[in-house]
Parts: sequence; C-alpha cells; structure tokens
Amino acid sequence: MSEDLGRLLIVDDESQIVRALTPALTAAGFKVASAAKGETALAMLANDPSDVVILDLGLPDMDGKDVIQRIREWSDCPIIVLSARDLEIEKIRALDLGADDFVNKPVGVGELLARIRAVVRGRERRFSAQPQFQFGDLEINFPARRVLVKGEEVRLTPREYQLLRILAGHAGQVVTHKQIIIAVWGSETNADAQFVRVLMAQLRQKLEAEPSSPNLLMTEPGIGYRLSCED
Amino acid sequence: MPVLRAATLPRRLLLSPSWIVRLNAPGRYALALAVVMASWSAAQILSQLTSSNRISGVLLAGVLVTSYLVGSGPGYAAAIVSFLIYNFYLGASIVGVAAYRAEDILLLVTFPVVAFLMGNLTGRLRDETKRTDIRQRMTAVLFEGTREFSACDDAAFIRVRLADYLAAAAQGQAFVLEDEVLCTGGGAELTPMVMSAAQALAQEASGEARSIEAAGWRVRRLSGAGVAGWRADPAPGPQEEDLLQILADAGAAAMTRAQMAAGKAGAEARARTEDLRNSLLSSISHDLRTPLAAVLASATSLQQFGDKFDAKTRQDLIATIQEEAERLNAFVTNLLHMTRLESGALDAHSAAFDLAEVIDRTRRRFERLRAHWKISFAPGEGAGLAVGDPVLFQVALANVLENAIRYSPPQSNISLSSALEEGAVVVRVADEGPGVEASELPRLFEKFYRGASAKRTPGTGLGLSIVRGVMHGMGGQAEAALRTDAKSGLVLSLTLPAAERHEEAV
Repeated sequence: MSEDLGRLLIVDDESQIVRALTPALTAAGFKVASAAKGETALAMLANDPSDVVILDLGLPDMDGKDVIQRIREWSDCPIIVLSARDLEIEKIRALDLGADDFVNKPVGVGELLARIRAVVRGRERRFSAQPQFQFGDLEINFPARRVLVKGEEVRLTPREYQLLRILAGHAGQVVTHKQIIIAVWGSETNADAQFVRVLMAQLRQKLEAEPSSPNLLMTEPGIGYRLSCED
Repeated sequence: MPVLRAATLPRRLLLSPSWIVRLNAPGRYALALAVVMASWSAAQILSQLTSSNRISGVLLAGVLVTSYLVGSGPGYAAAIVSFLIYNFYLGASIVGVAAYRAEDILLLVTFPVVAFLMGNLTGRLRDETKRTDIRQRMTAVLFEGTREFSACDDAAFIRVRLADYLAAAAQGQAFVLEDEVLCTGGGAELTPMVMSAAQALAQEASGEARSIEAAGWRVRRLSGAGVAGWRADPAPGPQEEDLLQILADAGAAAMTRAQMAAGKAGAEARARTEDLRNSLLSSISHDLRTPLAAVLASATSLQQFGDKFDAKTRQDLIATIQEEAERLNAFVTNLLHMTRLESGALDAHSAAFDLAEVIDRTRRRFERLRAHWKISFAPGEGAGLAVGDPVLFQVALANVLENAIRYSPPQSNISLSSALEEGAVVVRVADEGPGVEASELPRLFEKFYRGASAKRTPGTGLGLSIVRGVMHGMGGQAEAALRTDAKSGLVLSLTLPAAERHEEAV
C-alpha cells in the first residue's frame, strides 16, 4: 500500500472531514492536499495538477457543480464528488457536468478508496486507446465490433452495442441515463430512462452469467449505470 | 364605488324638448289638440285682422307642428280635427257643402298627407336619437366598467360589479352566476325557469361564449366559467345587444384574469413553503451527516490502517471521533430544544447562578472543539450573578457562539463580555464576521430565517430562534445589533435579571 498513487486534492470547507480523511488517504499512497474554497481549489489545480480531486458540493464561495464545470474546461483529472446532499438531481447534474463518481457522506475510507481506484483504473483503460476492452469474462474488440463472453462471440443489436460501448468507454464510472440516451438514440429523441432500462435488461441477458444479480453491468438507482471494473 | 353616470353627451339632433318626448299617448293627443286649437285661434285672429277667410294655411301649419312635435299618430288626429274645424268654419261662413271649392278638396287630401310625412320623419328621427342616447349610455357604462375591472384583482368583487354594470347598461335587471354564486343587479329576481336555464348553460362542457333567450332574459355563457344574464327595457336593438355582450365578456375576462392571478399567488406561496422545507431538510441532513462522515471516516481509517499510523495520527483521529460525536449530540439536543419550545414544554428552573462560571465553561468547551477561533471573555463589574436556568442559559450561549463561529473567518476573535445594566445582566458576544444588513436585524431570531449573506453557509436558521425561545422562557431577552467599533460583525446580547446580592448562588 506504500506505492505512490500521485497527488490528491480534497476540496471541503469542513475541516474535520479533511482531518479524518487525510491519514488514510496518505497511508494508501496519495500525497494529500486540501482546499476549503472553490477558488482556492481551482488556483491550486492550475499551479499543481492533481491526479484525483475529491469535491464537496456545498462550498462557502461557490457551488461545487461550478467547480466541476471550471475544472472540466481544461482538465480531465478524475473528480469524485463527496457530498451530504442526497438529492438525485444533484448527483445527475454533477455527473453530467463531468464528475466521475458520486459518493454520499458519510462513507468509510475502504469504500472511498475503492471508488478512487475504480475511477483511476477506468481512466487508465480509457486513455490508453486500446482497440480491446477486457475485464473478467468480457472482451470487446472495438474495431471489429465483436463482443466475446468467455471466448464465445455474443451477437448484439446496434443499440445494445452502443450502450455497451459507452459504458466500457467510462468503465468504473457512472454514466447517467441522459448520457446513455444521447449516445444511443441521439440528442433529438423522446427516449427516456425507461428505454434505457429495457435495453439494459436485454444486454444483461446476453452478457451476465446471472442477469438478475449482475456483477458487470451495475445499476446506480435513479441515476444511471456503471460498467464494473473492480476485482 | 363610483356612481354610474348616464351619458351626457350633446345631442346631435335637436328635436322636441325632452318633456314632450317623455309624454305618454293621451298626453301626446292632448298636445296635438292644443296645437290645433292654438292654430285655429291664430287663424281666427289672422282672418279678423286681414278680413280674409283664407285660413287653411295656418291650420296646415298646426298639423305640421303637431306631427313634428309628437309624431304621426297625433299628426293624423290633428289633420282630422283641423279639417273638421275648417269645414265648420266654411259651413259657418258659406252655406252648404256644395259650396266646396277645388281648393278645399285639395286641403282634404293635403292635411293627412302632410301629417303622415311629417310624423313619419319625426318618428324616425326620434327613434334614432333615442337609440343613440342608449348607445352612448351603454358605451359610458362599458368604459367605466372595463376601467374598474382592470384595476381590480378580486374575482368575487368583479362578479358583483359586473351584475351592477350590466343592469345599468341595460337599464333593467342583470345577474351573474358563477360556481353556484348568484350576484344580481338592478333588483333582479330570477324565476326558477330562468335560473335553471342559466345553470344548464353554465354547466355546458364547451367553454365557448354564446347567448340564449329565456323568458325575456338574454343569458350569455361567459368565456371562463359561469353565465351572465340581463333583461333590458325596452328590448335593445342588435347594436345595444352587442355592447351588452362586450361588457359581459370584458367582465368575464377580468374575472378569469383575477382568478389566475390568485392561483399564481397561491402557487408561489406553496413553492416558497416547499423551498423552505427542502432547504431545512437539506440543512438538517448536512448538519447530521458532516459529523457522521468525520466519525465514520476516522473510525474506518483506524480500523483499516491503524497499525500504519503513528501515535499522534491515531490520537488525532480518536479526538475527531469524540469531538464530532459531541457536535452531533449538541445538534440533536438543539433539535430537541426546538421541539420543546414548539410544544411549550420548555421547563425553566430559574434561580440565581454564577454567570461567569457558565460562560467560562462554555467558552472552554468551544475552544477545545473549535481551536481555529479565539474566544475571549471580559467579565464585567457586578455582573457575577444572574437569575435564570443555568442549563438553558448555556444552551442559548452555545448557540450564539456556534452562530458567531459559523459566520466569522477562522483565526478571528470572538469577544464575550458581561455587564450590569439597570438591574439586568447583559452578556454580549461580538464576532468579526460580515454582519448583516441593519434591516435584517429584527428578523435574525425568527425561526428558519437566514440572513441574505448566509445562503452559502450551511445552517437551518434554528439556532438563534432557540436562543430567543429559551431566553424568553426564563424571563430574559435576546437582541442583535451591529458592531459600533471599526470592525464589521454582529453583537448578540443575552439579558437576564441580576440576582440580589444576598441571594445564594447555585
């Protein structure tokens, strides 16, 4: 656990949260810095880019969602929202703006570290621009548009393939219903979350060993889906 | 309520004087007779003066005047009477009917023809004038009505006034029926038949404006909901009917607008309540979850990495758990106090107590939990003992301190002081935060009220309302003021009665 995982910035105005998280994150291998305000965080990121940002939505000087938007104007670093706001609409907005994941307070450090690992790994996979995606029994060959489960080819409809592709492209990350709808049906559509649910059920039938308790295509209730890449 | 004005526009057509116009039928005939008599008298005088018996012209003039003044009917009568008089006159001067001359035969024909033509012309002019008058009056009422409707936001009031205006415009009776509420104007009394026709029309599914006739009433379905009805006397012509419909429709539009405005206001009020509830819920969840998050993160850190941490880190995490648990407890206690205040179950045990000791204890607890703020205390001369409930006073003071810390920057000073003023002990807490607008000061102690500058800082708006609640509960006061020295910030003062010196401190 003493490997160097890079720099991590906690943006939270509650000092006790920073105090409680710092030791464990440091022990896990991150160099931890903290900012109590949105502007401070943006200035710190501009000078010294972080490898991971943990962001609270309720900041004293600006809304955390604006911080996400500002970071995304120039940086692609993983952002994990850690917030006490449990309104689904807040989560969806944060994710639509480009946050990688959303974790509710309170959270144990074990889960938080797992989420951080998943997001970082998903990014690595995505940005290595490999023509193949491989996780567990699932294998995707993007140029050939071939999907294999346990080495056997699975036939997907074009929409099922689009759905799988966007989830694989954001492996480990939550993809909102809206993002899926735009990727699969296009922006000029009246498709809604129900369409996504139906399509997801079809995809699970073909890919999951046990479609009723999936361990690959995970549901984020009320928000969207995630392709698991956690061991 | 403005008085309905009748139209007083200048007459376009100068016709008969108004008293003649208002005459009833016998009166008109009497007038005709009088005119004939007058012309006959004039003819007599004329024939005496000129020694001529050519008086037919004067009589003809009488017929002309009669027809002009009172219409064709009395005109015919005047023609007949004049002709008879003329005959009588001739009979008296020249013996025998055979003595008629061609001129007389001509007169026999001329008199009624003149009377007919003249009366007809006059009658038409008079009718036209009457219509113009009615239309002018209606236009004035319509103008007055729409002006009043547009200035009014109360649908019920517009309904009442619409009935009045319709009655005034029709110069008869009118009613407006909407949602089973009946408003009448001009002393209207509705027969069951009219009433049921109106109700049937009001319940028609299509919201189209249309009119029906029922027992002399014109009943119009209004565009929004309900119906308006009127009965005019005399029955109005099509143009007048149009004006009445326009008036009814203008009233209906005003009622719809007023109802929509009321609905909008209601929806806005509901949205505000909803907003308040949402922000309260999210504040409470934030205030509960933040300490919980620190506790859970610290505990799981110790569990997972405990053996990797040095002793200082472990100690720090344990301290975080303890402090955050205390903070959680304080928050729950506050919610409890709020509930007790709400239900009136606050139980104050007032006695003389050592104020300085309670203040110092509270201050030290805060210094430990909130090491980033410097809290100083300057006890005042003679302000040692106060009468109140020490436990509740500590609750109030803790809330005031929490409030000061919440809104002032770390490393700033929070100054506590006490003073004896006019038999009361005043404890003041001054912070170096941004303060509030002077206009907001009286509202700071209201439940759920949060200063305009506090929107970014999480909070429930409960703290200071609890302060005021418990201070009042033990006979004290809580007030807010702005700092009067050079610094910005708020000064909150808690006042309790001072204890007599001989009383024993508890």
